[in-house]
Amino acid sequence: MASVDLAYATITFKRKIAYKSTWLFTVLFGGFSLMAGLAVWSNLLGDGELGGYDWDAMKAYLIIGFLTSTLAWSGSDWEMANRILDGHVAIDLTKPVDFQRARAAEYMGGMAATVPSAIIGTAAAILIFQPASPVSPLAAVLTAFSLLFIFPLAFAINFLAVLSCFVTQRFLGIQWARDCLLAFFSGLMIPIALMPGWLQTLAWCLPFVHFTTTPASIYLGRVDTAGALGLIAVEAVWAVALWILARVLWSRLVRKVTIHGG
Amino acid sequence: MRHVGGVYRRALVAQIRSITEYPADFWVMASAGVMWNLLQFAFLTVLFNAVPDVAGWDYHEMVLLSSLLAIAGGSTALFCDGVWSTGQMVLKGEIDYRITRPAPVVVQMATTHIGMQGFGEVGFGLVMFVYGWIGAGLGLAAVPVGVLALVCTAVIECALVTLFCSVNFWLKGPMSNFAFMFIDLQNSAMSMPLGLFPIGVKLVTLFVVPVAFVNFVPIAVLTGHMSGWWLIGTPVAAVLAVFAATVVYRFGLRSYDSAGN
Repeated sequence: MASVDLAYATITFKRKIAYKSTWLFTVLFGGFSLMAGLAVWSNLLGDGELGGYDWDAMKAYLIIGFLTSTLAWSGSDWEMANRILDGHVAIDLTKPVDFQRARAAEYMGGMAATVPSAIIGTAAAILIFQPASPVSPLAAVLTAFSLLFIFPLAFAINFLAVLSCFVTQRFLGIQWARDCLLAFFSGLMIPIALMPGWLQTLAWCLPFVHFTTTPASIYLGRVDTAGALGLIAVEAVWAVALWILARVLWSRLVRKVTIHGG
Repeated sequence: MRHVGGVYRRALVAQIRSITEYPADFWVMASAGVMWNLLQFAFLTVLFNAVPDVAGWDYHEMVLLSSLLAIAGGSTALFCDGVWSTGQMVLKGEIDYRITRPAPVVVQMATTHIGMQGFGEVGFGLVMFVYGWIGAGLGLAAVPVGVLALVCTAVIECALVTLFCSVNFWLKGPMSNFAFMFIDLQNSAMSMPLGLFPIGVKLVTLFVVPVAFVNFVPIAVLTGHMSGWWLIGTPVAAVLAVFAATVVYRFGLRSYDSAGN
C-alpha cells in the first residue's frame, strides 16, 4: 500500500471518528434490524427448524448478518456519490492519483473506523442472545478469514452503485435499491436455503451471497473445510472481477463529465 | 393556504418538467424503485412457501402490509424528497435564499427535488395493493376505507420524514441520520405484524411515533385483525403528524443561523 493510499484511508478514518453520532447510528441501524429479525424468526421457528436452521443457529446467522451489514454500510459511499453529483469529480481528474484506488483507500478507512463498534455490538449480541457456537475452531478461523473479503467486496459494490450517479441526479434511490439487493441476495432477509432452486442458483451466482450466507455457512458447518476454502476462493475471484468491472465502467462513464466555465 | 398550495403545485410541476429532460435518469430511478419492492414481494413469496402464516397473518394480508409501506416510501420521494437535503442546506447556509422568498420554507424545501424512484415504488406498490386486496377477499364495499388508507399513508409518511429531517437544524451534519434511522426501523418492523414485537414497540409505534398508522392499522382493520374503531386513529394521526412536522420545522428555522465565515 502506497503512502498516498494510507493518507486517504487515515483522513476518512479520522473524519468518521470525529462524527461520533454517525458512528453510533451505523451500529444502531444494524441493531434495530437484528432485533426485528430475532423477533420474527423466534416466532417462525419456535422449537422447530426451517431450511436446516434451528433457533440457536438462526441467532448466529442473524448476528453474522448484523456484523457484515454494519461493516458494509460504514464506508464513504455518500461522499463518493456527492463528488460526482456536484461535479467535484472534475477536480479529482486533475489529481495525480488513480480515482478508483483513492476512493477504495477512503472506503477502507471508513470501514476500519466502524470495526471497533461493530465488534462491540457483535460481542454484546453474542452475550445477550447466546447463539450457536462455531462448529469447530478451524471453522471459526475460516469464518473470520471469509469476513475479511467483505472489505473489497463492499467497496466494489458501493463504487459500482455510486457510478450510477453519472446518469442519475440523486443517490438516495440507488442507495436503497443497492441495500435491498444486498439484503435479499445475501440471505439477510431470508436464508438462501429457503428459496426455490432457481433463485438459490441465481443468488449463488451473485457476489451478495458472501455478505451473510458464506460466513454463516462456514461458521455453522453447513459446508466442510474444502467447501469453506472453495467459497473463500470465490470471494477472492469476485473481489478482483468487480474491481476490473468498476474500472471498465468508470472509464466509459467519466466521459459524461462536462466542465462548464471559462 | 391557496397561495401555499399554488406554490407547492407549481414547484412540483416544474420538477416534473425537468424530469422529462433526463429520461435515462427517470428510467434508472423508477426501475430501482420497482426492484426493491419486487424483492420485498419475493421475500414474502419465499417466506410463505415455508410457513403458513406469520402471527396469524396470511400471505395476501402481508402483501397488503408491504404494499402500503412501498406506497408510503414512494410518496415521500414524489411529494417531499427535498426535505432530505435540509441537513446539507443548513450546513452550507443555503436556506438564506429560501427565507427571503414569499412562501413557506418547508414547502420550498420539499419541492427542491423529486425522487424518481417514487414513480416505481408507488406504481409497484399499487399493483401489490390490488393483488393483496383481491387475494385477501376484500370487496368493493371496503374501497372507501382503502382510499382513506392510501391518502393517510402518504400524508403521515411525508410528515414524519419532514419531522425527522428537521432534527438537522439542531444536530448539524450533512446526513439526515434520524430520518434514515426512522426509515430503517420502519422497514425492519412494520413490514411484519405488530403482534410479533414486545409491548414497548407497539406503544411507541401506535402512540409516540405513529408509524403503525402508515400501514399496519389500516390493513389490520380491513382484514379484521383489529376493531374498526382503530380506523379513526388513521386520519387523526395524519393531522397530528402534519401539525408536529410544521411546528418542529418552524422551530428549527428559528434556530437556523446561516453559515459562518
